[in-house]
Amino acid sequence: MTQSKAMKHEPLPDPYQDEYSRTTFGFWVYLLTDFMMFATIFAVYAVLHKSTFGGPGPKELFDLPSVMNQTWVLLVATFFVGFGGASVHRKHRAGTITYFLLTFILGITFLWLQFDDLSLLVKRGASWKSNAFLSAYFTLIGTFAVHIVFGLLWIIVLILPVIKRGIDMVSVRRLTCLRMFWQFLNIIWIFIFSIVYLLGVIQ
Amino acid sequence: MFGRLNELALKHDWIEYAAGVSMILGGILVIALITYHKKWKWLWKEYITSVDHKRIGVMYLVVSFVMLVKGLIDGLMMRAQQATSVGDSFGYLGAEHFQQIFTAHGVTMIFFVGMGVVFGIINIILPLQIGARDVAFPFLNSVSFWLFTAGGLYILISLMIGVFAGTGWTAYPPLAGLKYNPGVGVDYWIWSIQISGIGSLLSGVNFLVTILKMRCPGMTLRRMPIFVWATLATVVLVIAAFPILTANIAMLSTDRLLDTKIFTADFGGNPMMYINLIWAWGHPEVYILILPIFGIFSEYIPVFSKKKLFGYTSMVWAIAAITFLSFIVWLHHFFTMGAGANVNAFFGIMTMIIAVPTGVKVFNWLFTMYRGRVEFKTPMLWFIGFVVTFVTGGMTGVMMAIPAIDFQVHNSLFLIAHFHSVIIGGVVFGFFAGFTYWFPKIFGFKLDEKLGTYAFWCWLFGFLIAFMPLYLLGFMGATRRLNHYEASTGWHPLFVTAAIGALIILAGVIFQVLQIYVSIKKRKEYKDTTGDPWNGRTLEWSTTSPPPFYNFAFIPEVHGRDAFWSMKHAKETPENRPYEDIHMPTNTGIGFYIGVLSCIGGFAIVWHIFWMAGLCVLGIIASLIIRLGNKHPHYYVKAEEVERIEKRTRNA
Amino acid sequence: MIDAHHGWNLSFKPITLGFIFSLILTAAAYRIVTHYHLSNTVLTAAVVVLGCVQAVLQLIFFLHIGLESKPHWNTMFLLYMVFLIIILVGGSIWIMHHLGYNVMPTMDKLHNMW
Repeated sequence: MTQSKAMKHEPLPDPYQDEYSRTTFGFWVYLLTDFMMFATIFAVYAVLHKSTFGGPGPKELFDLPSVMNQTWVLLVATFFVGFGGASVHRKHRAGTITYFLLTFILGITFLWLQFDDLSLLVKRGASWKSNAFLSAYFTLIGTFAVHIVFGLLWIIVLILPVIKRGIDMVSVRRLTCLRMFWQFLNIIWIFIFSIVYLLGVIQ
Repeated sequence: MFGRLNELALKHDWIEYAAGVSMILGGILVIALITYHKKWKWLWKEYITSVDHKRIGVMYLVVSFVMLVKGLIDGLMMRAQQATSVGDSFGYLGAEHFQQIFTAHGVTMIFFVGMGVVFGIINIILPLQIGARDVAFPFLNSVSFWLFTAGGLYILISLMIGVFAGTGWTAYPPLAGLKYNPGVGVDYWIWSIQISGIGSLLSGVNFLVTILKMRCPGMTLRRMPIFVWATLATVVLVIAAFPILTANIAMLSTDRLLDTKIFTADFGGNPMMYINLIWAWGHPEVYILILPIFGIFSEYIPVFSKKKLFGYTSMVWAIAAITFLSFIVWLHHFFTMGAGANVNAFFGIMTMIIAVPTGVKVFNWLFTMYRGRVEFKTPMLWFIGFVVTFVTGGMTGVMMAIPAIDFQVHNSLFLIAHFHSVIIGGVVFGFFAGFTYWFPKIFGFKLDEKLGTYAFWCWLFGFLIAFMPLYLLGFMGATRRLNHYEASTGWHPLFVTAAIGALIILAGVIFQVLQIYVSIKKRKEYKDTTGDPWNGRTLEWSTTSPPPFYNFAFIPEVHGRDAFWSMKHAKETPENRPYEDIHMPTNTGIGFYIGVLSCIGGFAIVWHIFWMAGLCVLGIIASLIIRLGNKHPHYYVKAEEVERIEKRTRNA
Repeated sequence: MIDAHHGWNLSFKPITLGFIFSLILTAAAYRIVTHYHLSNTVLTAAVVVLGCVQAVLQLIFFLHIGLESKPHWNTMFLLYMVFLIIILVGGSIWIMHHLGYNVMPTMDKLHNMW
């Protein structure tokens, strides 16, 4: 078999072309699009946050201690999901299941606290229909809550196969994406907590 | 039980009945033909459940063509109305019907023709040009296509059940809000765009990962064909712009469904924010439509000029400049909305600047042709047509970039003539060229040249006769979307001329349909036996026509630009390697089911049949969970099978 | 995050560190706003800075941004998106604020945007 001298073998332009790399990168790009979507809603909130149509504003309506509780709960949930992600890479079945389920429990707690908060507002007559400020506020918080709901559902869907069959490359890949999702949501929450709640109370 | 859906939804005027009936008859005809030829199983296996990028791309083109016919008919109806509705006559269309037609025309052409042909061509050609076997996420590709189709169906369904929006294709609130348009029209608009928009966003992610992560050995970014660079820029725009649209329309939707006050005229809402956001998406959108077309020109002009592309590096920089600039010009769509001189000045200057890199590209194409041995096959005719029409459109765009001028011509027919010049001259002509150029690769035989030429001349002259009068009308003060005007304006003769131009365009389309029919009949005579009918330069021409489903028996290795050209002229003999097993994704119907569920779900939301919408959402989630549980999303094509296919097709 | 081949995918350390930093920064922002009587501008600046720092630290310690192998696509696209978000949000605020440019000032508080 003759081999011509000119034929040298070219390297792959991206050395990480395996399915894991493609999927996690693709998921990261999707998270960035989600970031832009949240940013759009943030922009609307920025433009409308003073339009209370004569009604009470953030200072009167926001319950900061309750928001802090939500923040701590979500932060601990993110901490656990990080541990879950590390466990699945170490192929520790028990650790993976434990940490993701802890995330689930804290996620439910977060939603419950948030639902309490929001229903109190509605009871006081401050609903998403009242004025532009509240519409923008409920839209932002509501969109965030919907993301948390999907994150919770996703935990169940992915943990069941791990409980049944243990960890394989497919679960490593998918649980890594799930872990990224929760951590991304926590970053969005930092902005919500800082800009909507803390700055809202300052004004 | 069925929300606000009742028999009244089926009540229409005679034109809508005629349209609905002809659509149903057309559908029945298609179903009858498929049944007669016993092709249902074949259709299901080969296309509907396919995750093959080439098949999905063809389906995009088929749907786009159907929507093009609908959009063209809308356009013809508008021309007919405006040519006859003068003075005492009020034409043949009621005002509300006319509003739905121009709205549907815009939505159809931009979303379901423009995006469809662009994603169709990218789907077919991109993996082949980078030496890949498919896109990064073939299942997601299928989902994207079926979401696209589901969104498009609303335009057709709304003709028969209910009404479509009458707000214009950008549906500004407060007109599009709950108070002034509580009916189903705007909701159809919302879900049509929202569902297909998610498909587009997912495709953007898919193609991005494909380009960055699946190029064959040796294909560094600087060795990629310009079409791939153009696609990269396009999807970079898609991933940033489409989320803005999604959020914006979602908020319009909550205003309508949940009575939020985001874009309302009262309770503190701000409709201008909608306009601001829709154009923050809308401007990148038009570059999403045109950049792949620029890529197409960069592909075939060198081939038909028998000369390598002039200025590869400046082409890439121009693409990058256009991409960046397209994000800082969006206010030019609403100069007249009161932002003041400073804001207008900034956006006006940025808008003028963006013409420069585009000009660089046009010059580079012309310089490629200069001193080449140019073969004026129909793609080259389309390119000349592009230069004439698109450049006119570009120059009028730069005129309107000056806010003071724009104040005179904003929302006049001058604007309409401008964007049709760039869209038809650019997207449509460029797509037809690319379609002709790559047709033999996709289907295995060339298109009839003569009929293609007739089609081109009809399109070019039809376009000029239909749209040049509109520039004049704009200067004469004619506003867009008028369903009637006074005879004393003197506009009538120009509207009649424009209508004649539209008919000539129709003749062009008829020639194209004829061209496809004749080419299919003569396919043995026009057969592409080598896989390289034009003496091409890039990797897609190294496969058979059509390529095998796995694209390449051996992933190619690339040592420079125009890789296939180098391979053809290489002095080295290719090694005789043994065939290997090839890993391919399996077909699945889940993408189709998700499309169906989305279509029904959106329909249910439009008609406030919330239990049905809820079930559809659950169904989509269940489909995804089922997909996650699929134990065999891939399979191996055995080496012997690959060898058999290669020997059979290459020795034909 | 992207590379199964890197050590930090397996390690609990960066997660713990990131968690501690986040706790501190969150508590600090809350405390500053509730316990200190500073001017609005200073408070706003403090909250924004603390929030941004926490976001960056979480990106690094939780999501391993910047630590992936060459080419750093993750970081590049993050920076690209952040850049565009600044243009969109900043540009929108600039534009929307100016839409009242040619409008006469009104004493009617109900229609106040800013």
